[in-house]
Amino acid sequence: MSEQPTLEINALSAGYGRFDVVRDVALSVGKGEAVALLGPNGAGKTTVLRAIMGLVKQRRGLIRIGGTDVSALPTHRIARGLAAIAPEGRRLFLDQSVEDNLLLGALHLRHDKARTQTLLASVYDLFPVLKAYRQRLSSFLSGGEQQMVAIGRMLMSDPEIMLLDEPSVALSPVAVDIVVKAMLELRKRGASLLLVEQRTDVATRVCDRLYVMTHGEIVDEMKPETIRSGGMSILNKYLG
Amino acid sequence: MLQFVLSGVAIGSIYGLIGMALAISFYVTRIINFAQGELMMVTVMVTAELASSGYPVWLAALAGLACSCIVGILSYVIAVRPILLSNRFSFGWLVSTLGFAVIVENAAAYIWGPTSQAFPPILNGISLPIGGAVLTAQQLLAIVTAAVLAAGFEIVRRYTLFGKLGMATAADPEMASAIGANTTIVAIVAFAISAIYAGIAGLLIGPSTFANPYLGDTFGTYGFIAMMIGGGTERPIAAMFGGLLLGVCAEGANALINSQASDWFPFIVLVLILIVSPKGLFSTSNPLFRPRRVAVTRG
Repeated sequence: MSEQPTLEINALSAGYGRFDVVRDVALSVGKGEAVALLGPNGAGKTTVLRAIMGLVKQRRGLIRIGGTDVSALPTHRIARGLAAIAPEGRRLFLDQSVEDNLLLGALHLRHDKARTQTLLASVYDLFPVLKAYRQRLSSFLSGGEQQMVAIGRMLMSDPEIMLLDEPSVALSPVAVDIVVKAMLELRKRGASLLLVEQRTDVATRVCDRLYVMTHGEIVDEMKPETIRSGGMSILNKYLG
Repeated sequence: MLQFVLSGVAIGSIYGLIGMALAISFYVTRIINFAQGELMMVTVMVTAELASSGYPVWLAALAGLACSCIVGILSYVIAVRPILLSNRFSFGWLVSTLGFAVIVENAAAYIWGPTSQAFPPILNGISLPIGGAVLTAQQLLAIVTAAVLAAGFEIVRRYTLFGKLGMATAADPEMASAIGANTTIVAIVAFAISAIYAGIAGLLIGPSTFANPYLGDTFGTYGFIAMMIGGGTERPIAAMFGGLLLGVCAEGANALINSQASDWFPFIVLVLILIVSPKGLFSTSNPLFRPRRVAVTRG
């Protein structure tokens, strides 16, 4: 019997209204592992992340984080140290400063000042530019800097599993490189990541395993090596 | 001149408090609580009732505020939350909060009768000559209380974690829950705070209006105007500025046009202001209040 995975999803169906956007999804992320969810627009990747956070009202199936069944927990309970998300579009609190955004990420640790300060220092260590801009309103940052704040805010809750939704989207090549390096650094620190990506190159640089999703279902699972050694054509078949 | 400005500021700070009360619950939940005026009335009626049965005024006032607070939370639980749960973007609360207001108002009229009752004078008996004008100590109390509550709100909003959480919930409730905020609790606290603000406005105006179950209608409307001309939908404190402006306009109209002018003049001011600055005078739609870059601190 191997070690229990950090994130375990089984037979997950989730959606909005009368439609299930994702059907019968099963995936797992081990401790310290980084896993990518690849697929075209509308495949349901974001919905999987939202279902893990409890942001999709309608969900069935099993979602376990670090052994805790979260499939019936409300979002704010899941967000207290189990899972944290750097969402699509970053969704910073734009009328607040960089540091306030980060501190809000550590909301459930508000009584543990020492741990909050340690986490804050580790975020500034990962993204030194944020320390320089810490008093600045987050709406005045560039896209790349905002993405750093979003990732930092996710780190601040010290979660078991970190969910990143297309952190490379709409960023300059330089900013994408910074984000990729940050994710690699997080891996070194032992974080478990579930990354939703459309860019295969980003996913293969960061992750140990990749799931391919189309039309709301997981259709394949592969290793980055497979893709590097010519599996790209297989992938292109799915991604269209 | 000085007289109407001073009494305008005094009544304006009460409009401003009700405007802020509306704005605080709107800020966090994007709901206009049309029962806000009735929350003020609850404090006035309960305080009047307890004071006339012999309890000390301060105790009666506290009990009145507590009752407003409870009714305020009930207005959220009964009239707002079920509607937002079924559809976060629906406008059903327009009718449900108005319905809640009618029920509270008629319940009060049923309990206490439709006529006005005595209200403890608090500081209304003391007159203070200021320059060539006269202000009662109650009016001065209203101005000071409004200033303290407006500043206090702004300090809490900007410098405490709870305030920042309120801002986060206001900006993006879903993301706020994804960082671990229980947005229902945040909303309930916002409704409780706004009920207390409205109740305090009631304690300040009670000595001049006496306790009447239909008090909420007029003051609710003026509070709404205060919020709209100030721009309280963006920043609750702007509702206080709007209230002061409204108070001075209304008293000025009474003094300079005729004694009925305060019934229509403020509405003309409201329309003019909203034409020039659609989100209110002290909002970002006014070029003077556009947000600017803040200085970067290094190190």
